[in-house]
Amino acid sequence: MLLAYKTALASPRVRSAAIEATEFPALADSMDVWSVPRIVVNGVPQWDGAVPERVFLDRVLAPAFE
Amino acid sequence: MAIFPPEDEERVRELLDALERSVELLVALGPEEAPLPGARDIDFGAETQRVVSGLAALSERVTYRVEEEPDGFDRYPAIAILPEGGDVGLRYYGLPWGYELGSLIGAVLEAGRRESSLRPESLERLAGLERDLTIDVFVTPT
Repeated sequence: MLLAYKTALASPRVRSAAIEATEFPALADSMDVWSVPRIVVNGVPQWDGAVPERVFLDRVLAPAFE
Repeated sequence: MAIFPPEDEERVRELLDALERSVELLVALGPEEAPLPGARDIDFGAETQRVVSGLAALSERVTYRVEEEPDGFDRYPAIAILPEGGDVGLRYYGLPWGYELGSLIGAVLEAGRRESSLRPESLERLAGLERDLTIDVFVTPT
């Protein structure tokens, strides 16, 4: 979670939210949240689990989000 | 009101002493989604307010305010983490308790830094970002 926050703090183009899945079950269902942390970029579920900083940036900066 | 055991409170107080700039926490309250069946009967908004006020009590550099349905929030309760009072897009949706209280503290510590703790090469890559990104991370307190 912290990497997402750090990324948002470092770039004016990035916003980041933690969402407590059990409190927002309808939203969590719509994102197929099964295990946590589940990372969703621009509204599309991407992956589950913590990853190193370089991998995190590789994934969120992937051309798929252009 | 205390939200940590005494030994943890001292540790969090020490961490917050490292803040280089002020951090404001905006607690946004409003209509809440019905929790899962069997979830404990908790007033999530009131508890969120209690946690945030307890955290703010540990540092002069951390302040908080509470608003009903302010602009810029999708659901409630929520917390905006505002470095020097500015909205840079950091949110926590829900009650930060258990393991996730650590995420909120981590957000405050990072927001309280004048320089990012990301690696220089990461900052370089982010500087070249030419589109908007919204990163949502679904978490649970355990």
